[in-house]
Amino acid sequence: MKKLTIIYYGIFLVLFSIFSFVFVDQNIPFLNNIYLGLAFSNRLLTSIFYILSIVIFFIFYGIFIYLGIKKNINLKEVFMLLGMTAIILFFSYPAMLSYDIFNYIATSKVLFFYHENPYIVMPIEFTGDPLLVFMHAANKVALYAPFWIILTGIPYSFGMGNFIITLFSLKLFVMIFYLLTAFFIWKMSRNILSVILFSFNPLIIIETLVSGHNDIVMIFLVLFSFFLLNKKKIFLGTLFFISSILIKYATILLIPIFLHVVWELIKNKEIDWKKVFFRSTILMSIAFLLSPFREEIYPWYAIWFLPFVFLIPKRKILLYISISLSFGLLFRYVAYMFSGTHAGFVPLFKSIVTFFPAFLILFYFFYKKLWGKNSFR
Amino acid sequence: MKNEKFLRLPILVLFFLIFFKTSVFAQSSYVLPYPSSMPGSLSYKIHLIYEDISKYWYFGDFGQFDYNRKMADKYLVEAKILFEYKQYLLGYKALGKSDQYFINILPNLIKAEKNGKNILQKKAVLDEASKKHIEVLRGIENNVPSVFIWEPEKSTPTTLNLKEALDISIQLREKN
Repeated sequence: MKKLTIIYYGIFLVLFSIFSFVFVDQNIPFLNNIYLGLAFSNRLLTSIFYILSIVIFFIFYGIFIYLGIKKNINLKEVFMLLGMTAIILFFSYPAMLSYDIFNYIATSKVLFFYHENPYIVMPIEFTGDPLLVFMHAANKVALYAPFWIILTGIPYSFGMGNFIITLFSLKLFVMIFYLLTAFFIWKMSRNILSVILFSFNPLIIIETLVSGHNDIVMIFLVLFSFFLLNKKKIFLGTLFFISSILIKYATILLIPIFLHVVWELIKNKEIDWKKVFFRSTILMSIAFLLSPFREEIYPWYAIWFLPFVFLIPKRKILLYISISLSFGLLFRYVAYMFSGTHAGFVPLFKSIVTFFPAFLILFYFFYKKLWGKNSFR
Repeated sequence: MKNEKFLRLPILVLFFLIFFKTSVFAQSSYVLPYPSSMPGSLSYKIHLIYEDISKYWYFGDFGQFDYNRKMADKYLVEAKILFEYKQYLLGYKALGKSDQYFINILPNLIKAEKNGKNILQKKAVLDEASKKHIEVLRGIENNVPSVFIWEPEKSTPTTLNLKEALDISIQLREKN
């Protein structure tokens, strides 16, 4: 049964990777020969396939969680499955749902190829650059923190000026951080369920292994910083914590928690890491909920708090709400996928679809609690 | 009588030409910045330090192009304001600074071109900036004396050849 599930999961991932290429943009000259145009000409069919894929992803997620709870899967198997997921999805098309990976490349190119400051010079200023034809934020200066831009120099130089190699080098780079995060979640929790909850969460998988978002790098660095603090390595821990902030700024909200842990360490007090992870969840959830003030709630912002939630799986309400949020967030893409516009009903649809599953869960818990109190049993 | 009628049209044309004399100059759509702090204040000194540091932040050919253009704009506006307030010595110095930054703009564009960057857009910006600068400089020229002797209380007077300085500034911008 387990073997069969893994085989089906593998087949599904391959099919999903193939499906991702339906979204190849016509304007990308490097991928002209594989352009299908289906995502733009047959929006209904594409949306149905996407919805089905998300549902299947969550079914497998549920199965793996079940196997974890029942202790029917060991660590070696989890890591093999995790490796398989990473390898298969490495070959998926990264701009299926977001064009951010192109922004990473463009920002890197501004710095490492044109030798200009990406915080001052926009990609659009390099008239004639082939990236301008298809990237979506060419008229913006760098949106990311400096350490991320410096780090992108690694995959950028691996690309040796070839767009496709650069694109997949960046995916590989992000994939390594996904694997490292899974590894350190194990190291910090020693709980196989936490590893499963993180590694096979469809939102984390899609936003990290398919779209290649850098949020996972920020989260890895902050988790690694906590790991080092646990080993009483304050200096290194501080260094990695600052590095995390310098990826995407969001972890700046964790400064009070970080300082509190350091203070406790200096005073030789025992640290309750479960409390640390819980508080981190709360603060990163605040950052997530505040994101509409900047632009909007993007699905990949959930990566800011999900790993912390999965480190404390016994907090049931938090866990269920987080999983339902990751389910809802992935449906935000459907509105644009179907209509081809960001206007009209799309913003309202996005809000409803994001929070509706979480509200259902909340309502369920609230009802259960209320019913439990009023019952005569 | 017939001659009078014949003369009517040229007189009318001449009248319009004289009346709308100011519109003969090309107007640039380029926008100059608001004036920032002025010499003499503490914030001005802080600004100077900030400018020196930000020179390094604006690295790269395009970065330096932007930096020098912004500084040339800033000091031109500063000079205009100071001349308006008859602070000729300070205005003269600000104009010199603006010129110096303006001189640095083009070499950075040439460098960028040598480095394989398309400079057409930047060149268009520079052309517009030059036009605007000339427009402002001509305006200043009409309102300042040709020569001004600045006589401070306890030191030697300074002769400021304002017209000459403004002419040099205009020529410098026309070269672009």
